[in-house]
Amino acid sequence: MIQVSHLSFSYTANPIIQDMSFSVDKGEIFGFLGPSGAGKSTLQRILLGMLPHYQGSVRVNGVECKHHGADFYASIGVDFEFSTLYEKLSARENLQFFSSLYRRQARSIPELLAMVGLENDADKRVSAYSKGMKSRLNFVKALLHDPALLFLDEPTSGLDPTNSRLMKDMILEEKRRGKTILLTTHNMQDAAELCDRVAFIVGGRIFALDSPHSLIMSRGAAQVTYTWFDEGERTASCPMDRLSEDARLQTLVAQNRLRSIHSSEPTLNDIFLEITGRTLV
Amino acid sequence: MSVVWRSFLQMLRLIRRDRMLLAAGAAPLLAGVALRCGVPAAEEVLVRCTGTALSPYYGLFDILLASLTPAMFCFIAAMVMLEERDDHIDRYLFATACGRNGYYVSRIVLPALAAFSVTALLLPVFHLSALLAGAVLCLSLTGALQGVIVALLVVALSANKLEGMAVTKLSSLIILGALVPWFVPAPLCFGLSFLPSFWMGKAMLESRLTYFLPSFAAAVGWIAALWRRIQRGCRFLDRKSDLENSKIPIDPDAASSCILCPCLNKRKHKEVLR
Repeated sequence: MIQVSHLSFSYTANPIIQDMSFSVDKGEIFGFLGPSGAGKSTLQRILLGMLPHYQGSVRVNGVECKHHGADFYASIGVDFEFSTLYEKLSARENLQFFSSLYRRQARSIPELLAMVGLENDADKRVSAYSKGMKSRLNFVKALLHDPALLFLDEPTSGLDPTNSRLMKDMILEEKRRGKTILLTTHNMQDAAELCDRVAFIVGGRIFALDSPHSLIMSRGAAQVTYTWFDEGERTASCPMDRLSEDARLQTLVAQNRLRSIHSSEPTLNDIFLEITGRTLV
Repeated sequence: MSVVWRSFLQMLRLIRRDRMLLAAGAAPLLAGVALRCGVPAAEEVLVRCTGTALSPYYGLFDILLASLTPAMFCFIAAMVMLEERDDHIDRYLFATACGRNGYYVSRIVLPALAAFSVTALLLPVFHLSALLAGAVLCLSLTGALQGVIVALLVVALSANKLEGMAVTKLSSLIILGALVPWFVPAPLCFGLSFLPSFWMGKAMLESRLTYFLPSFAAAVGWIAALWRRIQRGCRFLDRKSDLENSKIPIDPDAASSCILCPCLNKRKHKEVLR
């Protein structure tokens, strides 16, 4: 679906993107992870054909982005981080206009509004919507022409846990429908939950690219930490895959002397920190 | 129906919901009636009281009418564009089947064509001087090109609707170039020959249609320069966010520090980066 080969981009002598190469398969959720200024948004703009002056090759749906034609956007849906809706119009009027821009009218507006629970507010002006409602409407706006490729920029940013859950479920549902999704985020939890593969981007370079599970496992097994009482509270830990070799733990278990025991898996954020030396927050 | 046409219709829908923009759209018709009925009536009074006749200046009133319709139509389009910029809708439309060029065609070129048509209809009805068909067409075309200049100036120089209103008032002053050939002696008057309206004034004063040629040329020059500036402005917005995000060290005081673009707005760019 997307092939990027030796992509470099800069406005000046200082590179914004340096020698990036990766590919995204059809039906995959691919995450770009990185702190602000890492080059994620620039990369997204290049993939959207908005910045044609790049070096290397960037092919989306088999089309070189810098030479894209009028049909390029027919198979692409975009959900920017910020609301891109006519505030003075109702949700229905917004969707009617944006759907009129595409020849392909694949999904009905009432169905999309019902999908995000806005069917009863469809004729209300968007300016009266809450942030969560605007985010949901913004998201379904990108689905109007049933694009094969979805660009989502920080889709859960600023949403409360309920709306965030709803948004993630909708993204997973679109994946089940066969869409390829490019997710730009600095939320590691979302990335770990949604993405099939993630690319860690810092300073315009890809530091690591793999599935969240593989990246987490590459750091080694989870640690088990346990406490017991022996002239005061004592704590010890050992790797999950070497529990049977920890004689003290076995003794404590046999004597029922354990006060607590829990495992701690590394998070994607830990891996990001370890690989790039940077944090996302 | 093409995407560009649908985008244009959307602009009309937005105008319909805004009373100020609707009133601006009706202004040329009201101005036509006022000029056609008001100027001869005022002339009668002036002749009676002071002996001054306005008839030698009827050509100027026709230039005003020819410039007013495009200026109003393009002002309306510019206001819609600024509102869409405020709501980030322009950027979204760039990433749809409409595209960047389609968006600007629907917001500037089509309103200018509408302004040309309306002017060509209003001028034969409300004109004061003796106008032949050729003069009507030339005045309508130059007026429409001036309207495009006003719209581009507003989009290029203002960041929101409030600034847009102020810039529109200022940019409408380019119409005043038409007064210069009538009241400023040559060669001094040629100091404003870079304004399309200057040549409109000269054409009407000397009743020579060939003077519309430099008027078209000046208008095309303005439009090309402003279009380049808008294109740079778009890239500037991209660069600004990228550079601010990437924390590339920028020395705002260095002579060559405007690394964003070599445009007229170096000082402003530096302030943004500070």
